[in-house]
Amino acid sequence: MSTPNDDSPKPTPRWRAFLAKSREFAPVWTLLALILFFSVYSDSFLSLENAANILNQVALLAIMGTGITFVLLTAQIDLSVSYMATFAGVVAAYYTAGHLPQPWPIVAALLAAGALGWINGVGTARLGIPSFMVTLAMSLIASGLSLYLTRGRILFELPALSETLGSGRIFGVKWLVIVAALTLLVGHLVLKYTRFGRYVYMTGASPKAAELAGVNTKGVITAVMVIGALTAGLAGVVGIGRLGSATPTAFDGMLIDAIGAVVLGGTSLFGGVGGIPQTIVGLLILGVLRNGLDQVSVDIYMKTLITGIILLAALVFNILFAGRKEA
Amino acid sequence: MDTTSPLLELRNVAKQFGGIQALVGIDFDVRPGEVHALVGENGAGKSTMMKILAGVIPEYEGTMVWKGRPVRLRNPRHALDLGIAMIHQELSVMPELTVAENIFLGRQPLRAGTVDWARMFREAEAVLAELGFDHVNVREPLERYPLGVHQLSEIARALTSGAELIIMDEPTSALSPMETRHLLELTRELAATGKSVVYISHFLEEVTWVADRVTVLRDGRKIATLEARKTDKQELVRLMLGKEAAFFEESYMSGRDVEDPHAGARPVLTLERLTRPRAFSDVSFTLHAGEILGLYGLIGSGHFELGEAIYGLHRPTAGRILLEGQPVPAGPRRAIDRGVAYVPPSRRSGLFLEKPIYQNVTLPWLAQISGLVPQVPKEVRVTDEVIRRVGVRPPDPQKEVLYLSGGNQQKVAIARWLVRPPKVFVVSEPTRGMDVGAKEEVMKILHELSEAGVAVLLISSEPETVLAASERILVMAKGRIVREFVGETVTKEQLLHAASGELAEAR
Repeated sequence: MSTPNDDSPKPTPRWRAFLAKSREFAPVWTLLALILFFSVYSDSFLSLENAANILNQVALLAIMGTGITFVLLTAQIDLSVSYMATFAGVVAAYYTAGHLPQPWPIVAALLAAGALGWINGVGTARLGIPSFMVTLAMSLIASGLSLYLTRGRILFELPALSETLGSGRIFGVKWLVIVAALTLLVGHLVLKYTRFGRYVYMTGASPKAAELAGVNTKGVITAVMVIGALTAGLAGVVGIGRLGSATPTAFDGMLIDAIGAVVLGGTSLFGGVGGIPQTIVGLLILGVLRNGLDQVSVDIYMKTLITGIILLAALVFNILFAGRKEA
Repeated sequence: MDTTSPLLELRNVAKQFGGIQALVGIDFDVRPGEVHALVGENGAGKSTMMKILAGVIPEYEGTMVWKGRPVRLRNPRHALDLGIAMIHQELSVMPELTVAENIFLGRQPLRAGTVDWARMFREAEAVLAELGFDHVNVREPLERYPLGVHQLSEIARALTSGAELIIMDEPTSALSPMETRHLLELTRELAATGKSVVYISHFLEEVTWVADRVTVLRDGRKIATLEARKTDKQELVRLMLGKEAAFFEESYMSGRDVEDPHAGARPVLTLERLTRPRAFSDVSFTLHAGEILGLYGLIGSGHFELGEAIYGLHRPTAGRILLEGQPVPAGPRRAIDRGVAYVPPSRRSGLFLEKPIYQNVTLPWLAQISGLVPQVPKEVRVTDEVIRRVGVRPPDPQKEVLYLSGGNQQKVAIARWLVRPPKVFVVSEPTRGMDVGAKEEVMKILHELSEAGVAVLLISSEPETVLAASERILVMAKGRIVREFVGETVTKEQLLHAASGELAEAR
């Protein structure tokens, strides 16, 4: 009955199930361990106030990270998000200073970011340029546009909406945190409960198989690049409100944290696995780490090094488990 | 002449792969200056044997003797150092580099630590001239030349690296008739200068023309070693197939009425002079509703590419594909919407192994099943029905495809298209690597579909597969349809004969 072929049913190996579970939960354990560690070694860490602090600190990253989650799920990457955020902030301030009535400066900012994202998408999906190359070029373009519009100066005239969302409060809660939570929520709903979301996962899991099943994979990839740009743009528009000004390099430095947070959460760099819940965990890991290192007496010059090492560890972990995919 | 001591010998070589006996008790030898051909069906053990000869498989039972001394090759590098070079079917050339660089890939002549270009060009020219190809400019990128020259540069590489034994794996499968002829002549010339060649090919006419001796493998065993001069294609096919050939002679295509069963049937799919360079050319046929049309060809004959073209995966450069009289626009989505279904030859490329069965099944139909917001319970219900129909075990829509056996994975790939019965069902290698039971189940599904009026195009490189299910069989060789069998008793032997090409014709 059974021949040498591979046709007998394979039982689900227990080690594989265990690995799958640990892949899912390792970031959560990491987060809990970090919280425990800082609670023990710092008196000021474990408090409601500090928790609110952490949320506030990661809010901008969360907005950007939502879009990056979409991008990574299709096995692409976007290295231009932080520069597009800066650019969107500059556009919003520039047109406000130019007396364009509200909310048009903000609309213009989001449209401008979306257009750059569309170029990223077309370059990746239609022209076949690796996304890291296209978006690397785009980071220079966005950065260049920011410098050109501002002539290197700082813009202080901001849209009122940016100021409210960036630094205002409602019922004692920062608007910024609410915007971040809403962005994450919408991202989650789209990914988990829409046909488009399913296409995103399937395209990332296997572009070839998705194409064979009639999925417009090029369209999906273009769309996620636009989504990545739009959330970056949103981060820029509210971010200037938080900073109180738009500078030509305002958010440039957030790139590594934004991508790092998504990867720390466990979203695969190879696509198809992960999601917004993972991203939230990743954001919290990064936030707790940054915040906690400030609270304990660590050499201030070691902070970046420690963060880097933890990010590297997360990447190694990510690759190790992705490698098991084909086993 | 039998007293010539062999250059290379295999003595009682055997190899197992996880309980499957790939080779058993192989004795084989190659004499200096000899072209020794190796023939057999897919899975007969040719590639295993060739990998052992080339050092790719270092673990095996038995002995290899090189120039009278027992050796155990550790890796391909070791084989090359001894003088055994292998030319793969999938060429390992760098098209962007110059011809000369390709010939000296990885061992360019150096001068003071830098590449000695002048010397490299000189030596490349010399070796090509020796091979009779002095019209090739070694300074040009290889990509400017046809595939025949790519092949040639690999041979030149083998020669300049001091190879005494060259293993050629299906060297002519991608070559034009002209190039094939040049290659065969070149192979004879190599032998005349004392080099030995192990020549692996499906094209039996070529084999009998070029080889001194032919060894036939079947089911991992050596069946015979013959003088090429004293054998012919018929005998080789018979030996390759063995006793069962007699059985196949009667058993197939008698399932249905013989006299052109679809004389009155409605044509569904028509191909008109379809051409795509390096894949297929001038292919025309009509597929009828309720018919299972077998499309048989050896690997590399262009039949799989034809299936892809019908599904809109790539555009042919000439000719038309008409579905119910209307041209089909490119792209799988449009093909699906028009009622074309497709199962690719490698099931892994069509499935999401990490995803549950239901997501694999419903992906093409998400819009139809539940609009903008997928409703998982509904998807699971739809999936449950179709996977039970094709007999996926276990019939659990939530289970990841990864955990299913190969046969059951294949059934998932087919089940997907039962959600909405297609008009045309293109299936490539639906039963490869399956056990007999699973094969029969898949064939039963195809029959049921055809009885329900679906036009099935069954594409395979396994003669049994097309014979078992088809009423009409087209045979492709080197991108063209070379034979059509309708309403007559066909044997595996005839199929193989037709597909293995007429050398005289090819010239």
